[in-house]
Amino acid sequence: MRLEGGWAMAGETDATQQWRARSRLGEVLMAVTADTVKANAVKPVRAVGGFFAVALDTLVQSFNPPFAWREFILQSWFVARVSFVPTLVLSIPFTVLAVFLFNILLREFGAADFSGTGAALATVLQIGPVVTVLVVAGAGATAMCADLGARTIREELDALRVMGINPIQALVVPRVLAATLVALLLSSLVVLVGLTGGFIFSVFFQHVTPGAFVAGLTLLTGLGDVLICFTKATLFGLTAGLIACYMGITVGGGPAGVGNAVNETVVFSFMALFVINIIVTALGFRAGL
Amino acid sequence: MSTAAHYPLPRLRRALAARAAGWNRVGTQIQFHVKTLSSIRDVVIHYPVELVRLIAQMSLGTGALAMIGGTMVIVAFLTLSTGAIVAAQGYNQFSQVGVEALTGFASAYFNVRIVAPLTAEFALAATIGAGATAQIGAMRINEEIDALEVIGIRSIAYLATARVMAGIIVVIPFYCVSVLAAFFATRFGTTVVYGQSSGVYDHYFLTFLNRVDLIWSFAEVAAGGVVIMLIHTYYGYTASGGPAGVGEAVGRATRASLLASVLVILMITLAVYGQSGNFNLAG
Repeated sequence: MRLEGGWAMAGETDATQQWRARSRLGEVLMAVTADTVKANAVKPVRAVGGFFAVALDTLVQSFNPPFAWREFILQSWFVARVSFVPTLVLSIPFTVLAVFLFNILLREFGAADFSGTGAALATVLQIGPVVTVLVVAGAGATAMCADLGARTIREELDALRVMGINPIQALVVPRVLAATLVALLLSSLVVLVGLTGGFIFSVFFQHVTPGAFVAGLTLLTGLGDVLICFTKATLFGLTAGLIACYMGITVGGGPAGVGNAVNETVVFSFMALFVINIIVTALGFRAGL
Repeated sequence: MSTAAHYPLPRLRRALAARAAGWNRVGTQIQFHVKTLSSIRDVVIHYPVELVRLIAQMSLGTGALAMIGGTMVIVAFLTLSTGAIVAAQGYNQFSQVGVEALTGFASAYFNVRIVAPLTAEFALAATIGAGATAQIGAMRINEEIDALEVIGIRSIAYLATARVMAGIIVVIPFYCVSVLAAFFATRFGTTVVYGQSSGVYDHYFLTFLNRVDLIWSFAEVAAGGVVIMLIHTYYGYTASGGPAGVGEAVGRATRASLLASVLVILMITLAVYGQSGNFNLAG
């Protein structure tokens, strides 16, 4: 085995040359591996840092006039349009599933009249905000990320910067606020539709007394729980919007890159959703709401 | 179109054509799914290497997702957090009526029947499902699928069927991880964070843990996994409209598969537990 290049010394045996080549190859490989490991270790940290930088920028820019009203209204309408029907359709099977399992349990206790209590607890505390954000993240945020990502790889964001327009102010702020607002508004609708679905299922399919169902609704669920529900929905919408916009404006690598960015938006916003959910749930109980 | 003027009632025709296009899309989608499912033999015979590659890729994830530990870690993370919610919600609600000892029961009942399967399916849809749409969509936009067809590879078998089959295979370890993570998180939250004695927790947990329920819960996730992969491969395969089109296809596929997975779980739950509930408190 004789390597190309002039670094083999004259008068060396074949074996020495092979040994040299191998050690050289090892060095190169080690350097490459170290670089990859370093890049792989640094990249997620850098991404998290970049995300917080964009979040901070968005916060600052949302108080910096002029506010992009037209974009805000268009985006709110857009998110509401793509999320409205799926949230309502998704909230009914969700509540029916929860109410069905609750009712099995309650009938075993001989307390089927408290079916409404279980339905209210499940819908207001968990299903309402979670379903809202699953759809806002799955339908609204992905479309935002795809739109911003396509603009990024076509260098439209750079063009905006050249014209002296801050893309965060013009594009990101209205989108994030739109996702937040729509998530908040939709969550109340999801709770109402879910409770109606639960009522119909309990009363007509599981023979719960309608009066008892309605009377049981407010037994354990009060104003505090409704406030927690709205807090969760607002935080979810805000986070999903921020993640979508961050992934959108940092896209690279053509159509495949946009697809991957949207995929990551879904994964990261679901993860963030579950973390926020557990924190707010635990804090809500700690605060005694 | 100048020829449109020859036909009477253009507006009505357009409305009807839009309606018909919607119906046709349902038809093509079902046709695609049937083709996908009927080419399982082709994949086993012709593309076993691709199948193995996809299984490896799905369990580890791609791109930035692989860096944070792959799909398995994401599934475990999501179910850990929902298990912790069962602990927080269950312990606090039960202690309001003075029976917080039953949190172990809540873990055995709710985790198995609703929380773990739903969370596992969401995790599947978000990670391998949306990933499949993104990959296949990007291939469609770059005209790589046409290239596959030209060089004589059966694109539906190679891209869609292989992914559905890989999805069915990786769903087995995913489900085990997600149920264990949910159980662990609820137990940890109840015994360590809220300070219940672990003997009490384990007693009620093991008393009410129904092995048949676990098998049905696995069947729910497996069935949901097939439906999720079918939907996601279809949306990827039919993506159009440039880079933004790929992203929108991912979004629409995620929305559709979330809905489908909840419906699958609801149907199986209603069919299996039915009126009797398959549950005995008194033993």
